[in-house]
Amino acid sequence: MISFSNVSFGYGSGAQTIRNVSFEIEKGEFTALIGSNGAGKTTVSKLAAGILKPASGTVTVAGCDTRRTRTSVLASHVGFLFQNPDRQLCKPTVRQEIAFSLELIGCREGAEEKTETVLERFSLPGDAEPFSLSRGERQRVALAALLAAEPEILVLDEPTTGLDFRECMQMMDVVRQLNQAGTTVLMVCHDMEVVLDFASRVIVMTDGRVVADGPAHTVFRRKDVLAQAHLLPPQVIQLGMTLGGAFSEADTVGQMVRCVREEVRHERRA
Amino acid sequence: MIRISDVTFSYKNSQKKALDGISLHVPAGRFLGVIGASGAGKTTLIRAVNGTIPHHHQGDFYGSILVDGHDTFDTALTDLSCIAGTVFQDIDSMMVSSCVEDELLYGLENFGVARGQIEDRIRDALEAVGISQLRDRQIDALSGGQKQKVAIAAILALRPKLLLLDEPTGELDPQSSRQIFSILQRLCREEGITVVVVEQKIMLLSEFADDLAVLDQSRLAFHGPVRQVLAHSDELEAIGVHCPRMVSLSKALEREQIDLGGICVTVDEAAEKIGGLLK
Repeated sequence: MISFSNVSFGYGSGAQTIRNVSFEIEKGEFTALIGSNGAGKTTVSKLAAGILKPASGTVTVAGCDTRRTRTSVLASHVGFLFQNPDRQLCKPTVRQEIAFSLELIGCREGAEEKTETVLERFSLPGDAEPFSLSRGERQRVALAALLAAEPEILVLDEPTTGLDFRECMQMMDVVRQLNQAGTTVLMVCHDMEVVLDFASRVIVMTDGRVVADGPAHTVFRRKDVLAQAHLLPPQVIQLGMTLGGAFSEADTVGQMVRCVREEVRHERRA
Repeated sequence: MIRISDVTFSYKNSQKKALDGISLHVPAGRFLGVIGASGAGKTTLIRAVNGTIPHHHQGDFYGSILVDGHDTFDTALTDLSCIAGTVFQDIDSMMVSSCVEDELLYGLENFGVARGQIEDRIRDALEAVGISQLRDRQIDALSGGQKQKVAIAAILALRPKLLLLDEPTGELDPQSSRQIFSILQRLCREEGITVVVVEQKIMLLSEFADDLAVLDQSRLAFHGPVRQVLAHSDELEAIGVHCPRMVSLSKALEREQIDLGGICVTVDEAAEKIGGLLK
């Protein structure tokens, strides 16, 4: 669904921001892109949405070569959520914001009806002015506007930054539902707990290169890779790796509790 | 250092109370973390302590706030700024200069610091946050984490007794976020500066702060030493504050009659206590 083949890119005349990046994301996957600030995650996410075009190599999205396809055509396949929702809100009401997103992809028929369905689905106040809402609500409006176009692929750049826990969970639940309904998701995220809870695959970037790519629970156990990317694994995995043995298999609090219970029981018997 | 007594505040033209009957005492030299859902009043609390409420942001103000013994209501903002330094949420909007040294110089000159002291102040502040090597760099070319350190250094150069920060790690990666928190912890422990930081990242607060204050709908829901507050994890969840996984693990084990001897906050602590059970 998203394919990077030997992709390099640099801003202006400076050094290359990303170098020789290759990966394939299949339809329906939920992939997280992790790494430190400046590793090239946002650049990869913008290339995947066709907002940036590769300097060399090829990016193919939903079968379209992003260099040969108009951005407006790509936009009907890929929805891109900026880190800061305020960058993509531009209309006086929430309703017009959603309608505008449909207009952009050339949807005329049934546009009004679709707008109302989206407002209802996200429980958004249609008449409210977007900038009178909280950051979490503005983030939801921006996401809803993208989803009105029913893209097959969703690219999210730090979707939970600046949100409180409840807003973060509301946001991620929507993304999870979409993914379960078949939407392919590529998400840049700094919160490793959120990554492990929601993503099945993790791509780790350091210095513009991909240094690891695999199932989340496997990658989070690779100390060398995480150290190189200046990341710590989620707490439960970190604890399991410290304790070793059977503990190192646990991903969730529930699994860790069962494991401790078993080991303690065993100990008491011995 | 801070004594807030029954403070209620609503912004001009707003019916809603942004702070509702808040009383809070922060002793000198403590590191206090402030957390709560968005709209709970965290930023308003920072503004009330640094005096921009009521001197800059107007509204109805009841109760009193003493900062280092000065009543914020009767003390000029310029005098309060000498005691309490604030690092705001949007650091880009705080930066006024193009190079790091000038950024620090700007504050010092504005506060009328004697010429002979300026070099020492700049050098010490840069050293305190570990960015002496960035002194001549252009601010535009710095990373988010580096800019945040410059913002903290610029405030530190003014030698405040109290440091207030509003979500200092918002857009930073995990490693830079930890660096900022360990700098704050060191300033608190070694320099005796009182630190108050508003932050959504509960794991960082739990590991580095001494005390936590939890705001819920403009009121103070919990306040006390970190572990004491986190022991209320169920009530915290109900008001939208999620505890670190190690706290959930300690609680879940407690329900299974496996006692770790209190709440664990960090992985190291949990590893030590679980390891101890199995010896």
